Amino acid sequence: MKLSKIISAMILSFVLVLSSFAQANAKRLTAAVADWTGGEISCQVAVTMLEEELGYKVKRIVFPSGTGLWEAIAAGEIDFACESWPSYAESDSVMLNEELIYEGKKVGSYSGDGTVDLLGTVGVIGMSDYYIPRYAAEELGIKSWKDLNKHKDKFATIESGGKGRLIACPVAGWNCHDQKRLNLLGIDFQADELGTEAAAVAEAVAAYKRKEPFLLYLWEPHWFFGSYDMVGVGLPDHKVCDPDTFTEAGNWKDCGTKGWPATGWAKDYTMNYGNPATFAKPEHAKAKEFFEKMSFQNADQAVMLVEVSQKKRDLKEVVKEWKDANPDKWRSWIPN
Amino acid sequence: MSAESSINNKSRFNVYLTPSLIFFGIIIALILSFQNEEASVFPKFISDQFTFTAWVNEGEDYLRKHFRWFTKIIANYIKSGYYFIEDFLIDSPWILVVSILFLPCLVTGGLGLGLYSLFTMYFWGATGMWDESLQTVGLMGLSVTLCVFFGVILGTFCSQSNKFLNFMSPILDTMQVMPAFVYLFPAVFFFGIGGAPAILATMIYAMPPIIRLTNSGIRQVPAETIESATSFGSNKLQLLFKIKIPLSLPSIMMGVNQVIMMALALVVLACFIGAEGIGGQVWLAIRNLDVGWAMEGGLCILFMAIMFDRFSSAFSKTPEILPSNVQKFYLLPQNWEKYHIARILEKPLSFLHYVTNYVCITITNLVAYVFRAVFSLFNKQTANDIGEFISKRFYIIPSFIIFFIITFIDSSIYEIGSFPKEWKLSIRQPIANAVDALTVNPGFIAFTKGLRGFVYLKLLHPLDVFLTHIPWWYMMGVFTLIGYFTVGLRFAFTTALLLLFIGACGIWTHSMITLSSVLVSVALCFAIGVPLGIIASYNERFRNVQNVVLDAMQTLPYFCYLIPVLMFFGGGIVSAVLATVIYSIPPIIRLTTLGLTQVSVSYSEVSRSFGGTLLQTLGKVKFPLAVPSLVIGFNQTVILAFAMQIVTPLIGGKGLGLEVFNGLARSDTGRGLAAGIAIVLLAIIIDRITLAYTKKQRLALGLVTDNK
Repeated sequence: MKLSKIISAMILSFVLVLSSFAQANAKRLTAAVADWTGGEISCQVAVTMLEEELGYKVKRIVFPSGTGLWEAIAAGEIDFACESWPSYAESDSVMLNEELIYEGKKVGSYSGDGTVDLLGTVGVIGMSDYYIPRYAAEELGIKSWKDLNKHKDKFATIESGGKGRLIACPVAGWNCHDQKRLNLLGIDFQADELGTEAAAVAEAVAAYKRKEPFLLYLWEPHWFFGSYDMVGVGLPDHKVCDPDTFTEAGNWKDCGTKGWPATGWAKDYTMNYGNPATFAKPEHAKAKEFFEKMSFQNADQAVMLVEVSQKKRDLKEVVKEWKDANPDKWRSWIPN
Repeated sequence: MSAESSINNKSRFNVYLTPSLIFFGIIIALILSFQNEEASVFPKFISDQFTFTAWVNEGEDYLRKHFRWFTKIIANYIKSGYYFIEDFLIDSPWILVVSILFLPCLVTGGLGLGLYSLFTMYFWGATGMWDESLQTVGLMGLSVTLCVFFGVILGTFCSQSNKFLNFMSPILDTMQVMPAFVYLFPAVFFFGIGGAPAILATMIYAMPPIIRLTNSGIRQVPAETIESATSFGSNKLQLLFKIKIPLSLPSIMMGVNQVIMMALALVVLACFIGAEGIGGQVWLAIRNLDVGWAMEGGLCILFMAIMFDRFSSAFSKTPEILPSNVQKFYLLPQNWEKYHIARILEKPLSFLHYVTNYVCITITNLVAYVFRAVFSLFNKQTANDIGEFISKRFYIIPSFIIFFIITFIDSSIYEIGSFPKEWKLSIRQPIANAVDALTVNPGFIAFTKGLRGFVYLKLLHPLDVFLTHIPWWYMMGVFTLIGYFTVGLRFAFTTALLLLFIGACGIWTHSMITLSSVLVSVALCFAIGVPLGIIASYNERFRNVQNVVLDAMQTLPYFCYLIPVLMFFGGGIVSAVLATVIYSIPPIIRLTTLGLTQVSVSYSEVSRSFGGTLLQTLGKVKFPLAVPSLVIGFNQTVILAFAMQIVTPLIGGKGLGLEVFNGLARSDTGRGLAAGIAIVLLAIIIDRITLAYTKKQRLALGLVTDNK
């Protein structure tokens, strides 16, 4: 009897110890790992700075990008995520309430409910398009997307039947609406989602090596363009419907060929975003300031992309190396 | 006379009826499938009215608004517990962590398991996944603890009241059938992401076996024991805690073993909702198509699974008692005792064992003596109790002393820190190189290309076209009719309703794509599995090797099956099918072997003595008798294949699994849930039909008597 009392006392003290540990560490942040290599690099750069220069402990969580991630950030489950591309995010217009500033210039504005905080631009500017290899463009005489239908049988695979195949935007949460775009533009192609960036690129590399024509969705900066000669098909310029009904709330009602998604993508001033409550805390003021000042350049990312994706080097090592070699590039981001 | 002939007529009519029905069914289906695709689309006005997705999302919004504070409190408790364990494991000196895992393995499982656990932990550290592995261990440890705690309580309640048991059994059934993904995603919105929802989802997934086994264990305590305890004047509670629960411990420990294995599978999968650990590493590796990395992660999980499996089953095993003239072996198999050299090799080990034993007992007694002396200053009775309590724990006390010494050294003399980086031994590059070398080999390319082309062009594509072109009402009718003939009217009605639900959710086409993937996978499983099963049923050595492989396959979480396929076939829908085949093949191999070996020897002997050849015996006697077993294998394979559909979108799978992923990415719970439920419903319908079919077959063969 006595012993069971002692044991229960021990359990009780254990619970007390637990609850004393429950107070979260003040200098602790959680970040979502992006699901494309460029995003991973930008995020690792930010995390390295936070950890090594500002003394944070950052927990990196693997979480698929998309609306779910935005909601997790709004709920405070994740403190911040990196390199959101505005024209891919469906939630930005609903959840952000701020202006997007790039190098002092206003490049966009949001009037959502402010449940997510726009931390600032990353500095990387993204462009997306559909690409074909130059040899195919020259051989078949394809000048724009309008010529694709004429040669669709050349782009066909056993899986796509009579249609051509687009190696499409691989991740569902990115909201590329590839099939919708193809249908609206009357391109008789089938969009194949391969699940991951790596799978899509591997497919493209294999086709390139066989010198077959293929249509590939891709974005810049990407290492692929450094190794393989690709040309864009020049989709129509980016435009949105007025009013914009192509949203989840609008039940994805499109306005035909007049606007998105029947157009190409806009120039993306990528941004970091986080939980407003977390970054309003005084102990995170330094981190907030860092994100406002961060200005990571395309050229730097492109160099690291080659190291990580092609040479298969460890991401952390590559970022560390860049940080050690280029102190002049990041010194100005660090608040003093 | 006339009655008999009419029965004969009827059965003859039946004999022709079924094949001709099936034949006409297929002909009509083929004709219908040559119509345009439109006919296969579920009528839009129904799916527009039936906005299940919107209802779920509205309901979820309501719950979130009104109950989130409550779920958040629970989540916070679990989260703080998990963070505590995680911080402890990761921040502690690595030697301490090793000893915490090594010593229990050594004590329960002997030297072999101890050394194996050391190897496992070395592997975690060497591959650079030390932190991730410990996160998985922590996550699993906490969920297993909670599962066992609540499971044993619920199981005990079940054993005490039939009413409660009847109330619980349908709940337990549902918990076991539902794929974890269906509740994993909604859990995010109530319990946040990361450890807390993962642990709660694990509890739903892994608790049923321990509840069932506790219940049955307590109920199986012999009546005489209970009677004698009652006659000595035990009251009901004493009877329960002093007699029934201790006696049912082996059964409970078996439940713990199952809980551990199931928890591991789910904890790895929980990386999709942001739980850290090796699962996240494997997913990252798959995302980067980094085969070596994925392989390392998969091996970490495999070794961990085997370690925990052996550890927990060692707990429930009773030690065998050897004759006194036989030398006990600690590392080598005991049946090698007859070899002289083995005895010599074992000598130092047994000496080591005696020394350790002696040291442990001395230290424990010393500690007990000290405690007794100190406490006897206050109270003699307490002191004696404590002394006795301590002196009985020969292993725990020395272990704790070792832990304290390590902690002391780490904190005040020399900081040990995390696993030394210098010991890194990455097998990532060699694996990647080997795979690369293989994938550029022209012969291998021809093989994979041929296989891909065959599976796609000859199997998947025609079936896909057939199923997506066939009108929905025809498909529904076929399922309902099959349900009616195999199970009964009530089931046919339910089937029709369930299928209408799938159609009304607007995911009929996706369901058909999933169905065709599953059917192709199952067909391939049969084509590969049945021959393997036949070989195993004739050759015992082959069977033993195969059993080991299948055991290992079944301890691996299904997420890991994407890796080998990804290695050789890249992404795409065919790869998704092949991954499904690898994951769901074990039951069909096992049950073919079982079914064939179970056919009593006398039957085959009779057949042989009548001059039947080996093939004739197999085809005419053994196979028909093994049919029920085969159908159960088919049934389990189908269930596993459906479960696998959830993760195949990661490597290019389509259909309902992709819908679930789309739902998650858009935080559209309704969409994900509808697709998840559709997977469950299809699996349940096929499961019930096959089970009813086996029952009929068994009855017809006279293998069982009808109980009802």
